[in-house]
Amino acid sequence: MLSATSGGRGSGLGFAMPAILLLLAFFVIPVAFLLMRSVTEPAPGLQNYATLLGSTTYAKIFFNTFFVAGVVTAITVLIAFPVAWALAIMPARWSAVIFAVILLSMWTNLLARTYAWMVLLQQTGLINRMLKAIGLIDQPLQLTNNLIGVTIGMVYIMLPFMILPLLGVIRKIDPAILQAAALCGATRAQALRRVLLPLAGPGLASGGLMVFVMSLGYFVTPSLLGGTANMMLAELIAQQVQSLVNWGMGGAAAFVLLVVTLGLYAVQLRFFDQAEAR
Amino acid sequence: MKKTMFALAVASALTAHAAMAEDMVFTSWGGTTQDAQAANWAQPFTEKTGTGVMQDGPTDYGKIKAMVEAGAVTWDVVDAEFDWALQAGKQGLLEPLDFTVIDKAKLDPRFVSDYAVGSFYYSFVLGWNPANFSDAQPATLADLFDTTKFPGKRTFYKWSAPGVIEAALLADGVAPDALYPLDLDRAFAKLDTIKSDIIWWEGGAQSQQLLASGEAPIGFFWNGRLAALQADGMPVGISWDQNITAADALVVPKGTAHKDAAMKFIAEATSAEGQAAFAAATGYAPVNLGSADLMDPAVRATLPDAQTAVQVNADMAYWAEHRDEIGNRWYAWQAQ
Repeated sequence: MLSATSGGRGSGLGFAMPAILLLLAFFVIPVAFLLMRSVTEPAPGLQNYATLLGSTTYAKIFFNTFFVAGVVTAITVLIAFPVAWALAIMPARWSAVIFAVILLSMWTNLLARTYAWMVLLQQTGLINRMLKAIGLIDQPLQLTNNLIGVTIGMVYIMLPFMILPLLGVIRKIDPAILQAAALCGATRAQALRRVLLPLAGPGLASGGLMVFVMSLGYFVTPSLLGGTANMMLAELIAQQVQSLVNWGMGGAAAFVLLVVTLGLYAVQLRFFDQAEAR
Repeated sequence: MKKTMFALAVASALTAHAAMAEDMVFTSWGGTTQDAQAANWAQPFTEKTGTGVMQDGPTDYGKIKAMVEAGAVTWDVVDAEFDWALQAGKQGLLEPLDFTVIDKAKLDPRFVSDYAVGSFYYSFVLGWNPANFSDAQPATLADLFDTTKFPGKRTFYKWSAPGVIEAALLADGVAPDALYPLDLDRAFAKLDTIKSDIIWWEGGAQSQQLLASGEAPIGFFWNGRLAALQADGMPVGISWDQNITAADALVVPKGTAHKDAAMKFIAEATSAEGQAAFAAATGYAPVNLGSADLMDPAVRATLPDAQTAVQVNADMAYWAEHRDEIGNRWYAWQAQ
């Protein structure tokens, strides 16, 4: 859709028509129905939203959702930035191989990857047994069923979505600019902070927002690697719809998540447009 | 949301197909349980009637409601939890069962109602991994809640359903005949005492993994899953003391195009032979009172229906009535 609109608004629309119809029939209309149920079930009115926004339990779930998404985004940025930088400056042959490995991990089934983390991280898992064997710990560390498990599992899944946009931006940066900074007497830290980071800003912003927005709606990984104390919004929706068959409440929660996501997406689009304009 | 749309798309595609072939669709929870249902119910049914049975799953109450409301029902017989089935019957989501086709005289009356008959019944039992407890072995539900005597993580069924709340009350000293109406305050207070030590299991396979790996050396399990671990040669401790029974139900979503076939399928599934063969394959108990005579006594001894003396029946009617109220409180408590 993005490329269609940026490539010439009139001409792209025809090609995008099948995709637009598909989205309309299988996404927009059902979402509209769901939204309607959120204000009609079990009785007409806004009481689902009142419950959702008024209870401390749901407030905690909202907080968890944003907190986990925030932590995951921050750690993903910290890991992805050096990786993208290294990929940008290493010989092309090497970067192609590493790039392929990163993409390959994206194509492996999400559930399989999450179960693999469960096996690695549990108390009797490989990581705990190794740490014990080399004498670093006496008691196994609690790495699953909590925030640590969710964060590890989700950062791993989100990394490619951060590395790709960053790499695109960093590759465009002329290495001579950094040399110029050094010649002008900038320390490495200063060059990073005042030259590299501002230039990579658009990539950081778009990647960061993409990861944040995707994390907000994640279900499988938090459900399997996290405990119920870190419950996120997607899991609440699943409970309401699948277990309690309360479409009204599930719809309301889904709608709130959708609004937040669209809002953040709007911000992301702005950043994208600015980046394109430069 | 995406899931629902996908379900509706698949649903309409399936309707078209099913109508052409005149097959019916049976939906259950997947895994070894559904395999046994396919082999011991669907196959004989197809041989006798000529009607093919397509397997689908997993059971999803949200989907059933969506299908019935949209008038596009593609699941003809569904294996569901009994308390949900009673509630759904009252809400008009199910077809009344035809007891001129299904012979209810032979069925355990605990698991017969207008809209649902038992599919099989099972017990929640105390299970543990003996490798993790060198001295005394756990024996009672009170031990399950005693982290001093039996330290370590304990695992419980994650979803709101009959079983765990009853176990908490029994462990706290409530007499079995005084369980209902459930004292939720007391149950959650008891659960609070071990909350930080609980790992929740979402499905049977996960419960087995947690116990076998020692991640959670003690917990509250579906008896059939422990039987399967034992059959694989793993030493598993099982205590039947105050085993809590619950049942799955066979139901027919309202508006199915294959109502006659659905009723005949349920008749076959609940027959003495079908129930006996299924029980032997899964470790779950038959709901047909005539099945016991058809079974190997050694196998029978491992089933919940051999443990009625120490058994506590979860009150399905009570749960059907209070399902939403308990569920909302359960999930809110979990999230705190």
